Amino acid sequence: MITLSTLRRTFAALFVLFLGTFSVFAVTAQAADEVAGARPGAASNIGKPTSTNTVKDSKGNVVQYGSDAITYKSPSAITGKTAAELRAIGRALYMQNCSSCHGVKADGVLSKGNPEAYPSLIDLGPAVIDFWISSGRMPAADPTAIQAARKTSRLSSLQSLAIAEWVNSLSNAYPYVPVVNTNDASRAEGLNLFALNCAACHTITGGGDALAAGTYAPTLQDSDITATQIATAIRSGPGNMPNYSSSLTDEQVADIVKYVKVDIQNPNNIGGAGFGGLGPVAEGFIALSLGIGILALAAFWVGDRQ
Amino acid sequence: MSDVKTKRTAKAARGPYGRVGHVLNELDDRVGSAKARNFLDKIFPDHWSFMLGEIALYSFVIIMVTGTFLTLYYVPSQTVVTYRGSYAPLYGIKVSQAYASSVDLTFGVRGGLLMRQMHHWACDIFIGAMVVHMARVFFTGAFRKPRELNYSIGTTLLTLGIVNGFLGYSLPDDLVSGTGLRIAYSILESIPVVGTYLAFFIFGGNFPGTAVIPRFFILHVLLIPGIITAMVGAHLFLLVRQKHTQFPGPGRTEKNVVGTPMFPVFMGKTTGYLFIVTGVTALLGAFTQINPIWLFGPYDAAKISYAVQPDWYMGFLDGALRIAPAWQTNNFGHTIPWTVTFPALILPGIIFGIAYAWPALERKFTGDNELHNLLDRPSEVPVRTAAGSALLAFVIWLFIASSTDVIANFMHLSLNNVLIFMRITTFIVPVVTYIITLKICQEMRDADGSGRRKTPNLVTRTSEGEYVSTAAPYHEEMQHHEEVAVPVPTFLVKDEAPSSDGVRTVER
Amino acid sequence: MSTTEEHRTPVSLSSVSENDPRMQPAAKNPDRVERWIAILFVLGFVGFIGFGWAYWVDAAPWILGSTVGFAFSFVGIGVVAWGKYLMPKGPFVEERHDMRSTDEERDAFAAAIIQRGGGVIKRRPMLGALLGGGLGIFGIVALFPVLRSLGPLPGKTLTRTDWKKGSYLVLQDGRRVHVDDFKIAEVATVFPEGFEETPNGQAVDQTIIIRLDTEDFTTKKGRESWGPAGYVAYSKLCSHLGCPVGLYEQQLQMLVCPCHQSMFDVTVGAQPNFGPAPRPLPQLPLFIDKDGYLRSQSDYLEPVGPGYWERS
Repeated sequence: MITLSTLRRTFAALFVLFLGTFSVFAVTAQAADEVAGARPGAASNIGKPTSTNTVKDSKGNVVQYGSDAITYKSPSAITGKTAAELRAIGRALYMQNCSSCHGVKADGVLSKGNPEAYPSLIDLGPAVIDFWISSGRMPAADPTAIQAARKTSRLSSLQSLAIAEWVNSLSNAYPYVPVVNTNDASRAEGLNLFALNCAACHTITGGGDALAAGTYAPTLQDSDITATQIATAIRSGPGNMPNYSSSLTDEQVADIVKYVKVDIQNPNNIGGAGFGGLGPVAEGFIALSLGIGILALAAFWVGDRQ
Repeated sequence: MSDVKTKRTAKAARGPYGRVGHVLNELDDRVGSAKARNFLDKIFPDHWSFMLGEIALYSFVIIMVTGTFLTLYYVPSQTVVTYRGSYAPLYGIKVSQAYASSVDLTFGVRGGLLMRQMHHWACDIFIGAMVVHMARVFFTGAFRKPRELNYSIGTTLLTLGIVNGFLGYSLPDDLVSGTGLRIAYSILESIPVVGTYLAFFIFGGNFPGTAVIPRFFILHVLLIPGIITAMVGAHLFLLVRQKHTQFPGPGRTEKNVVGTPMFPVFMGKTTGYLFIVTGVTALLGAFTQINPIWLFGPYDAAKISYAVQPDWYMGFLDGALRIAPAWQTNNFGHTIPWTVTFPALILPGIIFGIAYAWPALERKFTGDNELHNLLDRPSEVPVRTAAGSALLAFVIWLFIASSTDVIANFMHLSLNNVLIFMRITTFIVPVVTYIITLKICQEMRDADGSGRRKTPNLVTRTSEGEYVSTAAPYHEEMQHHEEVAVPVPTFLVKDEAPSSDGVRTVER
Repeated sequence: MSTTEEHRTPVSLSSVSENDPRMQPAAKNPDRVERWIAILFVLGFVGFIGFGWAYWVDAAPWILGSTVGFAFSFVGIGVVAWGKYLMPKGPFVEERHDMRSTDEERDAFAAAIIQRGGGVIKRRPMLGALLGGGLGIFGIVALFPVLRSLGPLPGKTLTRTDWKKGSYLVLQDGRRVHVDDFKIAEVATVFPEGFEETPNGQAVDQTIIIRLDTEDFTTKKGRESWGPAGYVAYSKLCSHLGCPVGLYEQQLQMLVCPCHQSMFDVTVGAQPNFGPAPRPLPQLPLFIDKDGYLRSQSDYLEPVGPGYWERS
């Protein structure tokens, strides 16, 4: 029979159960927070080779490393050719295209006391070399310009990786060429990170804009820009761009890459002509020239001219 | 005399105007409506430039209609919710309810994006039309006695429109407009003595607070539109009471108005124009994207995008802020950041102050206290036209200065050089505009027949070889026969003989 | 005429023949114009039906907009053409009556206000003064709830952030920053630990940290201990109008504010050398604890963000 005292005891028991579950939950959540905040030594997947994530070849050279989100591969791992083959091709191409500025030993050339004039390429890692060549910025059209502009590359992808392999062979450095896996990447997290880190220079719609003293942040809306190039730029910071070598994890970089490839390069312009995401300046011109313009012309017809 | 009511006798009893006339009579019994006939006879002059104000009026109507639709879905709250709509890059993101409901309007409500875009385009056109209309009023001298009050009401409408536009585009709480809110907060802070108090009171605390979106909402949909509607009513009432101005021309004097009657001609044309304005706004809303908030993401005080400008009508403020030198004073423990206070507060005060004060200034400097119902041709008043052009050029130049980074990017110039260029030219442009406009107007005023259609000259050569040009006789097709204007007739009589009080021949 | 009608201005009730040239349509060929208008109306109505259909099948916004847009445009052009070409072409004229009232009416109006009203005040001056004073007082106190109830007093809120002695620097996802993490020319936005998700944290505490060197970096005299191992931290709030200064150019070593392009040299304490910002960005003093994590020595030594009256 259900009496008042039975009810009271049931409720008391349920209440204690609730309190207990809640406390356990709260304590474990707190503990999880602390684990997340604390850093046991260097963080795991921030794009650097560690003892646990590298694959080496028979001679003990690192062939690739990384995580599920990004695999950093040596040029030979990407092209499928042996390192020796690539080096031969790369060395020849380098001497032909690059040595006149960067020196036959790739250690740079001083110009008027400025070591940055024709900088050293040693210890940059193959990803950086490949980035500059595959984006067409190198060989530079105007070496004296404050910033090299992106253009269609003179060299093919294989040639670019070959040069990267040869320069890296002079002194092995990281990062290797990032191959991004965006299958598990989140566009939403990509938008969040892009807005916090990238939009200040590249604009939130990725159109790029002028920066100080003639420098500029290039547009990201061109679909020729590959995932590898984006990831390399983030990790290495080319030109005036700062780098994010460890402040972003591989997963976060993959999120940004996915957002750029999907939503910056193919934005959802469901509202009509997008004007490259230029914003209110373009909209104002349209409103005044098209909107008021057409309506003023209509008024010209409706009314008299006397 | 039979008491039997046949259809014919009943019809006869109603009078010659039938059922409608009977209803009108019943209404007149109650409210004296027959006296409204004077309103139906009102004459509206027909010049096309008089329709610019109508663009503003009808855009406002479109704003109200589309805005009402938007208020049915938009939630004015900064409470954080998780977006679970159909736009994938935002799915699972914590955003404010204002932002989430705005994105839902775009992707989740049928017709919502069209309404959002029409509303925003209509607002841009509304303010643009007010500026163009105000320019027409200024350059033709329509603000002179007795219309100074109406001119002030109009200037206030422009100010309110700009403010309401700013409040409105800040409502979706996206990254771009939120940055504008941060700037507005800092401008409030910069006011000497009361700045921090004003900022804390209006925003409910430190930036961003949770009070500002709901407060802006009620200002944007109720308080300011209410004031605007009342002022538009006053504006139109004064226009009807004082009657519209008109350009000088044949048969047009200070004491009459020549044009088309309110009913049916003007009502027909203006209703058609309302439809055209609606159509153009809808086509803009269909084919041109505006304010794509889903591409901007939600506002976060630590995030920023480059190339962020406010909507065009606030552009002159942004430009002034960019080119202002980095001056501040710090005396006796108090900071006045002149680099903010001057361009954001004092400068618009000066610009609008000149606008408001102009009728009084012109009365004082020309000594002209007469009533004016005929308009000036702008070239006939060089000083006014030049001064207005200079002020307009100054404001437009400031607007261009707000896009220094876009210009530098587009033309591959150094951003620093573009800014320095803007700083210098901001002073040069109005002066040069004034001088050039003055000279052009003076030349036009002194030249015969300027501003009118060219008349053909007959060039003959004398036997000595001298060329002589004389005015050619008017060609038949070039002549425009205009009847002498008569008052709107009350009754139309079916008879055979057309009457005519005379025919005037005017040059086309 | 009854006596009430004596005050009304008499109007002549004119009549005009239907065949009067002014009552004729303006078009030379009204029937042809009528056909065109009919076509426009039909197109317009088809457009409206199209809009209805597009809504019913949830068509793309551009279809919704273009159907209703073209429909309104065609109907509008038709209605305008009707009024312009098919209605009486005029011209018609209307006399302007003097706006001003007669001198007698003006005298009467002025007398009503000044003599009647003035008489009231002149006869009871004390009441008038008391009422005026009372309304004045009401006007002032009415402002109190309108303004003060809106928000809190600023107090010392603007002078403080959540950074304290020993606060850990954390990224937006909560990870602490370790001295071995950043390469040279790496930047990140950091918050004091525990405040990376709060609105105040994002708005006020936001700090940008840049690794300029591998050795300790001194930006100004007296700040020798503030830049351990080359890490310098500045408030991300621009001193001009509070926008986050997220734009760093590593070769120029310059922070550029995206809003109005103020440029700050990070090697000398974020000194503005171009643009409208009037003050350097406040620098956060850092130190590295025994585990290698970056922490703040104290709060900022001056208020962050834009200038205001009470800022000394």
